[in-house]
Amino acid sequence: MINALKLSLRIDFNYAVNSFIYMIKKTPILRNIITSNLYEKDGFKTFIRILGVICTSIRLLLFRGFYFIIIYNISRLIHHNTSQTFFHIFFIFSIMGMFINTSILSTSRKKNISILLFKMDAKKFILSHYYFSLIIDFILNNIFLLMILSMLKVPISISIFLSLFSLLSKNTGEALSVWYYQKNNQKLLTEKIYFLIIILGLLISLLPIVDIIFSYRIILLFTLIFGITATPSFIYLLKVNNYKMIYKKINALSFQMQQINTEQSVRQFMVDLRDQDREINPKKLKGKKGYDLFNTIFFERHRYLLLRSSKLFAIVSATLIVITIIIIIEYPKDQLLIYNFLKEHISFLILLMYFINRGEIVTQAMFFNCDHAMLTFNLYKNPKVILELFKRRVNTLIKINLIPAIVIAIGFPLILSLTGRVAVLECICIFTLVIFVSIFFSVHYLVIYYLLQPYSREMKIKSPTYSLVNVATYFCCYMLTKIHFNSILFCITVIFFTILYVFISLRLIYKKSPTTFKIK
Amino acid sequence: MKLEVTNLTKKYGKKVILNNVSFTFEEGKIYGLIGRNGAGKTTFFNCMNRDIDIDSGDFKIIDKKIEKNLEESDIGYVLSTPIVPEFLTGKEFLQFFLEINKDQIKKQKTIEEYFNLVKLNQEDQNKLLKEYSHGMRNKMQMLINFIADSKVLLLDEPLTSLDVVVQDDMKKLFRTMKKDHIIIFSTHILELALDLCDEIIILNNQKIELIEKKNLNTKSYKDKIIRALKDTRND
Repeated sequence: MINALKLSLRIDFNYAVNSFIYMIKKTPILRNIITSNLYEKDGFKTFIRILGVICTSIRLLLFRGFYFIIIYNISRLIHHNTSQTFFHIFFIFSIMGMFINTSILSTSRKKNISILLFKMDAKKFILSHYYFSLIIDFILNNIFLLMILSMLKVPISISIFLSLFSLLSKNTGEALSVWYYQKNNQKLLTEKIYFLIIILGLLISLLPIVDIIFSYRIILLFTLIFGITATPSFIYLLKVNNYKMIYKKINALSFQMQQINTEQSVRQFMVDLRDQDREINPKKLKGKKGYDLFNTIFFERHRYLLLRSSKLFAIVSATLIVITIIIIIEYPKDQLLIYNFLKEHISFLILLMYFINRGEIVTQAMFFNCDHAMLTFNLYKNPKVILELFKRRVNTLIKINLIPAIVIAIGFPLILSLTGRVAVLECICIFTLVIFVSIFFSVHYLVIYYLLQPYSREMKIKSPTYSLVNVATYFCCYMLTKIHFNSILFCITVIFFTILYVFISLRLIYKKSPTTFKIK
Repeated sequence: MKLEVTNLTKKYGKKVILNNVSFTFEEGKIYGLIGRNGAGKTTFFNCMNRDIDIDSGDFKIIDKKIEKNLEESDIGYVLSTPIVPEFLTGKEFLQFFLEINKDQIKKQKTIEEYFNLVKLNQEDQNKLLKEYSHGMRNKMQMLINFIADSKVLLLDEPLTSLDVVVQDDMKKLFRTMKKDHIIIFSTHILELALDLCDEIIILNNQKIELIEKKNLNTKSYKDKIIRALKDTRND
């Protein structure tokens, strides 16, 4: 079993290292430096492998740390007895995890490769990974429990007890899920029960708000129960011999079918048109011809797909604004609180506009429902056609994104002015800021679509540069929220930057897109 | 060695795909499985490979009068779209496969010898499988199944969209392999089936039926197959 684990971890690391090298080889500048076949270079791969182990350890620590920080902070927020509340929530989360976080009956790329392609002994593979994950869980839980318990000034010996409870409950949960599957040929949890457990679990974990907290005794009692069930569970999991058949059935549609399904569902989602959108009002097409007509037909046929989330965001934003206005009117003493909060978070408007911008969805629809087919015709690749369509599309995309933007652009300064502490100039600045940022993102997504055309026929993103630009965009938006400036100065800077960006990118589009806008 | 399929039935809801199918496959033969679109060829393979549950039926291997249930390890399943771990190189994939299955593989050869079998050169061996062409991936998939030496090979349209040279290489490989194996080869291309297969079986009206050649010439045999396929009661 240990050998199976070692071998599978080696495959896993090799896979990760090769993916990393592949990414480097596709990144601009770096791809020009690296010319030789790095997949052959053992020394370099060992270096990346060590780096990988360090990164994985950090990732595991961060995720687990995040989990415990959330529990700790919720405990602090909802009840004055933080330590008792912490145990209560940890207990409920562990019970929830026992059902919803089972690893043996889950499917993954790694399992597909190891069990189905490499024909690895499924029992050895599944159980060795399962025991390995239990050990890692136990260590990680202890690290963070020790830290939190020492902060709460609770005897740290309880850390072992809580980790043991979590481990024993998980073991029983896994055995129960496999036993149920063997008996009924289906998984223990349907989707509905899965969500019911989550909702119920969350509600029970919040019971300390009404002063109901599970005592140590209940946790102790359950630890004893799971302690008793642990041995038969352990023996049962070792006795099961048909892990491969179980896995194959769970993975019924197999690795290939999963891929096809994903592609098909993307396709389905993209291509599906609402019946009422198939018929276009002739008035909207009147007097239009050529690519103007082509573009109008495209957008009219995709009205629902392209407009639904923009409209939804607009409705949600409008509702929140109205609620805030009601609060301001009904509770005048909260005005200062709301004012201060909004004033401090003006830069968050950038992040908000980033999230509500539909540029990526629209460009995906453009590619899959139109360009990937049209780009096979030489007529469509004509630079004049590309630029003409770009102009029409950028206009339409700006209009789509302006629907929620206008609501926010009016609502935000309106709330500020209702608190009576803001100058008219500032209101105008914020209004213009939101509109300009919305325009910026609309242009930005279309520009990177035309300059990098990242999609393959299968709707996969083939360009690492595109992914890199997306990450960088998010990072910049996020960083802006961390900086505090004078609001007028901030607005003017952003407006100026947007104008500059639009100007430069349009020049770039005119120069480059005829050569970059093609099928990968 | 024989593979006996007895009373195999598979339904999807109320729709019957395979209805009491019984057939005996023999070692040393390549069977061409032909059926119209949606007839259930892939379902038949999936049932044998235990990818899906069956409603009833048995699969038995009879070797030197010893009868045993067909096990998953007896089957090699080659898909029309080859599935390979994309971020391993061809060489790594083969190395790991040999290491994992070293106890099951009789007369293990060197990695070079294996690659020579499917004519993949040194440079290709060190490329990521992600960068392999469809034909090269197909060769790797076949090679893995060749090494695993499963008694029964299910080939689901393995030569579709391969260039003629790769097709020829693969055909040679199948012919070499058929000696100790039962090969069932599904295809839509009748000419390919006639060229490669020893027997033609059709999946029609939820049943499998052997189309005997007897004294017919190729044209008459083709006509007979098409006539049989046209005789669809539930199309």
